[in-house]
Amino acid sequence: MSTSPDSAPLLEVRNLAVSFENSADPSSRVQAVAGVDLSVWPRQTLAVVGESGCGKSVTAMSTMQLLPRPPARYDCGEILLDGEDLLKRSERDMLAVRGSKIAMIFQEPMTSLNPVYTIGDQIIEAILLHQHVSHRQAVEIAIQAMNDVGIPKAEERIRAYPHQFSGGMRQRVMIAMALACRPRLLLADEPTTALDVTIQAQILELLRELQRTRQMGIMLITHNLGVVAENADVVCVMYAGRVVEYANVFDLFDRPLHPYTRGLLKSIPSLHDAKHRLTTVDEVVRDPNEFRKLAGFEKGVVPWWPETPAEARPLGVPGQPAYRLHEIEPGRWVGCWMSEHLEAHPSRKPNLEFRRNDLGVVSGAAAI
Amino acid sequence: MLAYVVRRLLLMIPTLLGITLLVFMLLALAPGGIGAGLTASSGQVDGSKLALQQAYLEDRYGLKDPVLVQYGRWLARIAPIKFGTPDQITLAGEHKSKPRAIDAPPLPEWFPLSDAAIAARDAATLKRGVVAAINETEREDAQRAYRRLETDYVSSRAAYRALTKKLGDELIEYAIAQQISGVRTSHGDCRFDVIATTPAKRDASNWAAIEALATQIDAAYIRALKSYQLIDVAFAAKPFREAGVAIVPGVISIGSPDLGVAFSKGRPSSVLIASALPVTILLNVIAFPIIYLIAVPSGVLAAARRGKWFDILSGGLFVALWSIPVVWSGVLAVGYLASNQYVGAFPVAGLHDSLADSWTFLPSFRDDGAFERGYLLDLFWHICLPVACLVYTGFAILAKQTRAAMLDNYSADYVRTARAKGVDRGTVAVHHVFRNSLLPVITVFVTVFPATLAGSIVIERIFSVPGMGSLLLEAITNRDRELVLANTFMVACVNLLALLLADILYAAADPRVSYE
Amino acid sequence: MTSKRPELRVISGIDAMRGVGATEPKGFWADAWSRVLGRTGAIIALGWIGVIAFLAIFAPLLASGHPLVLTDTATGTRSWPLFDNLSASDLLLVIGAVVGVPWVSFPLRIARSTRLAALLIAGLQAGLTVVASVGVAEWFGSPARDLALRQASREAWFAWAASGGVALLFALAAMFVSPFASRAARLVQVLIVAALCVVCLSQRWTPALVDVDRYSELEASGAATAIYTLVPWSPTQGRTSLNLVPPGTRLADKLPAFEGTVPGERRFVMGTDNVGRDALSQMLHACRLSISIGIVSTGLAVLIGVSVGALMGYFGGKVDLIFFRVVEIFMAIPVLFLLIVAAGVLPRNTYVMMAIIGCVTWTGAARFTRAEFLKLRSQDFVQSARAAGLPLRSILFRHMLPNGVTPVLVDSSFAVAAAITFEATLSFLGLGPEGQPSWGQLLASATGATGLFNWWLAIFPGLAIFLTVLSYNVLGEALRDAIDPKLRKAAQ
Repeated sequence: MSTSPDSAPLLEVRNLAVSFENSADPSSRVQAVAGVDLSVWPRQTLAVVGESGCGKSVTAMSTMQLLPRPPARYDCGEILLDGEDLLKRSERDMLAVRGSKIAMIFQEPMTSLNPVYTIGDQIIEAILLHQHVSHRQAVEIAIQAMNDVGIPKAEERIRAYPHQFSGGMRQRVMIAMALACRPRLLLADEPTTALDVTIQAQILELLRELQRTRQMGIMLITHNLGVVAENADVVCVMYAGRVVEYANVFDLFDRPLHPYTRGLLKSIPSLHDAKHRLTTVDEVVRDPNEFRKLAGFEKGVVPWWPETPAEARPLGVPGQPAYRLHEIEPGRWVGCWMSEHLEAHPSRKPNLEFRRNDLGVVSGAAAI
Repeated sequence: MLAYVVRRLLLMIPTLLGITLLVFMLLALAPGGIGAGLTASSGQVDGSKLALQQAYLEDRYGLKDPVLVQYGRWLARIAPIKFGTPDQITLAGEHKSKPRAIDAPPLPEWFPLSDAAIAARDAATLKRGVVAAINETEREDAQRAYRRLETDYVSSRAAYRALTKKLGDELIEYAIAQQISGVRTSHGDCRFDVIATTPAKRDASNWAAIEALATQIDAAYIRALKSYQLIDVAFAAKPFREAGVAIVPGVISIGSPDLGVAFSKGRPSSVLIASALPVTILLNVIAFPIIYLIAVPSGVLAAARRGKWFDILSGGLFVALWSIPVVWSGVLAVGYLASNQYVGAFPVAGLHDSLADSWTFLPSFRDDGAFERGYLLDLFWHICLPVACLVYTGFAILAKQTRAAMLDNYSADYVRTARAKGVDRGTVAVHHVFRNSLLPVITVFVTVFPATLAGSIVIERIFSVPGMGSLLLEAITNRDRELVLANTFMVACVNLLALLLADILYAAADPRVSYE
Repeated sequence: MTSKRPELRVISGIDAMRGVGATEPKGFWADAWSRVLGRTGAIIALGWIGVIAFLAIFAPLLASGHPLVLTDTATGTRSWPLFDNLSASDLLLVIGAVVGVPWVSFPLRIARSTRLAALLIAGLQAGLTVVASVGVAEWFGSPARDLALRQASREAWFAWAASGGVALLFALAAMFVSPFASRAARLVQVLIVAALCVVCLSQRWTPALVDVDRYSELEASGAATAIYTLVPWSPTQGRTSLNLVPPGTRLADKLPAFEGTVPGERRFVMGTDNVGRDALSQMLHACRLSISIGIVSTGLAVLIGVSVGALMGYFGGKVDLIFFRVVEIFMAIPVLFLLIVAAGVLPRNTYVMMAIIGCVTWTGAARFTRAEFLKLRSQDFVQSARAAGLPLRSILFRHMLPNGVTPVLVDSSFAVAAAITFEATLSFLGLGPEGQPSWGQLLASATGATGLFNWWLAIFPGLAIFLTVLSYNVLGEALRDAIDPKLRKAAQ
């Protein structure tokens, strides 16, 4: 157990693997998450980036055991919240965690609120589940929460129904609901993808503000690199259920080490270069030279990629899995193929206590 | 919300108009037209009396008029807002409308009115005497006097009509002989105006008959005219209670709908329906809670245990139940459970035992220790089988809809949010999923209610329960137009009101629905 | 680290998104059909419906009071009364089935769907020809006509001429709808069908009035021997002395005059009804009524409903408002009430019943179609079609209808079940087609006026109705689960 709240990571995910039954082909299983390590520190925003199907939402939902079992199955791994493995908790015990220690907001504010109850009822439901207060006090707390997220005329609107709110307002309601019990960790699964760009900025700024005042950790799941650049402290890039790169945001954008990350960044059109064609991610990851650029390549440190041709892979180590997340430089992890070199040089699990504001850099001014 | 209800009630009016028009047109489509049933039900064997009866019915119901005119007339009787002199209602509930004047005899070009007839038509002195006579008597005597006058009026009018028809038939034969075309209408009546344009051929074979009939008509006209004048005055003296409330006296009044007289039974339709409607409503009102109490929980349970044995079993059972036609289950119930050949545990017919009226309301023991069922228990015992045969059809639709709605809502996003908040499974199921599933369940009422109402027709026939269904069947068999129309109208009203209720409940349950 | 079950393949999430590892997708309808066939319940249901269809087509050959072969003992001459007394529609149905089933099932070069469509069009053409010819015959023969016309209608040449004319008319119509590509093939198809119709109709223009009891008397007296079909009774052949006879009774038990003779040994396998007609024979012949009413009424209801619904959904606005009032009018009263009133006042024959059931139950299809069309109207592909200037007809039929008609088709199996139930109910109440045996009518005789319960008239016809309705319902359920994507998602 930690002595001061700031001295240990809030959440540690160790070697998580989650698989699903495959409805399209019952003879196979879908391995959605295949060995993920990450950690979130208090007051830190960890951005989990990747394309659809890479396993980011599944990772987040696993922390709260929100996945229905079956068809999901936790194959192995631990999720430590303040040192305690959440995956070992029973369903009844998880009820005390959900909403009070960890909260989650989702992508679709339109359908994520129950249409037949007022938003006041729904926020108060969350409050009454985790706090021993009277109903009247819960109303007060709800109104305060709504004020905190910037909903005007909270006393009136607490009796309104979700369909009477706009998309941006509904997302604010979701945030109010999530934060009403002051959780330590907020999981935000693509919270702004369904919103307008201007509303997007407002919501993200709101989240940053709330993080500052409440000392909360945020796991921000997104596929939008612009959002990552503006809001993240640490970035975890995922592909096919594994982490391919893990670093703080400035290092990542400055000098991406994994070819996939490089491909993602290169494919963003830039205002400065005039090009006839945009670079695709595919071009980058199919180029064997990109893989050679990693320091230590000759020694057997090869970036992991599922489509790497067999001759380019290093000789694996029998009895060990084919993939390992390896700390190439201090504070920078890259997913690599297992080789004897890596076997001989084990590295620690990703753990990066980095917050952009600690550097004195004002968020919003891109130093990229 | 009130505005919404009022708007819906007002919208019911065109729908009711439409359905009554549809049924009226159907009845008009019948071979023989609307009048077919009327003549069939008269049951007279004697030829001349049959002619008389037919003439009376044709005259009273205006059966020779175009269908739309007849419909309009029926509508005017049904409508609560009435124009003209208001009807009067007898103690028995029968409506008496203002007596209609007697039309002049046909073909005045050939057979002008006699002097006596002209004198009768213009007689005004007669009226004063009658008024005086009627004002002096007690009210009950006035009613009896009215009835006597009415009988006289009806018979003399019918006789007059019958003679006119006979004249028409003779003239048709005359026209065929004289080769005058366009005299015969499709109904078989004579077009007097066409005849009037041709010169009278006194040497025709049936001229003697024609002339004799003309003289008789003249006499009958005088008689009818006199009785009309008497009854007209008698009516104006208001022997019976006036129907409705006068807004502008004598011009506009608001009153209850006049559903007509069911001539196959000789009683006002409203009386018959008043005794049949509560029975049907009782059957349905008892059936619905049972349907909901059994179907909704099994739908919820089946959704919660999807794929397990309860789900599969209940699904199969309900499909099988739904497929059993009500005619079969009713016959099996009567044959095996009710009749004495087999189990005989239930009564075979009716809603009450023949002695039920003499019993107490609640079960009791008689002096000699024997158990007496009591009125209430007897009613329930009789209603057991009919209700059982009525409810099982509704199970399937409702349970399936509940299950589908629950499954739909289980995978909804707000359920994920609720679980992320820390709500436990049970509360999620009841408070979130079920509450949202209520909406389709209420909507399904719109389908289940008419189906159950229709099922009760068959049930009433099989179990001889005197409800709206069996009333309709009798009316159809007897071709009793008034009763069919009245019955359809009431059933449509009940049905639409039930649907309105369902919509109001839905509006109360779903805040997204706005009624402003 | 991945954990693998030895017998299962493992694919990554990205691959699952891309569809790797999914089974090969078929076309929409082929996929749905294979799902339906995958359920045992649906197979059994289809089997039962097939049995009923078989009985419907071959009923006159299975149950008839006319013997197959009648041999005069004195002269030894043979006659075939059964064949001679088959009506035109019976003959055509049998020929259609015997030719049609191999035509559709055997593997040929022509696509199966084309062959099926051709068979259906041929059936429609033949059916309409027969109905129209019967109508023509009745019209010319009705008492309202002049004597000369009536006599002419009974001549042989009239039969050929009338049936030929009607057949030609419908052959012409069928030319347009035939699914074959080449003109020659179409011509061949319609001409074959027309020729068949004319031959059958002209031979059996006026039904012969034969007293079927005569055969058993001939046999009893030894004047002739006869070989009968499976059930040696006609559905309309009844005697009051044979009323309400329990199953298994021999003819001789009720009519002692026949004791010791061959006809006397014949049994009423399912008993008789309240006018002495054999119940099994009636049940076999009633199959035809059920199937035809089910399909034709539903077809009519779907036709009306989809047309009205499409118009409402496409135009919206005033058109929608007006037609929706009409739909509401039909929904204002329970369907059975309207059917009872209609059946009570209109002439009592099969075609009228088909028409009224079809004309009263169309509201469901209309509402489905309207909802789908309203949804589709705002979709992009319709907007682009309109922007491209396509005519309304093309948009409606080519683009919107195939998509919008799916819920109606899913519901159609249930609609057939409902139509069969309505027909049974109306027949039970005495409002069914006259002269046509019906399961509902048999059921009505079960509870007699005397209070006796005739169990054989309750169990057998009721079971027949129940199993047929159940089959259609089960089929409908299977179809719905196969087609409705929402339910499929919920099932995953």
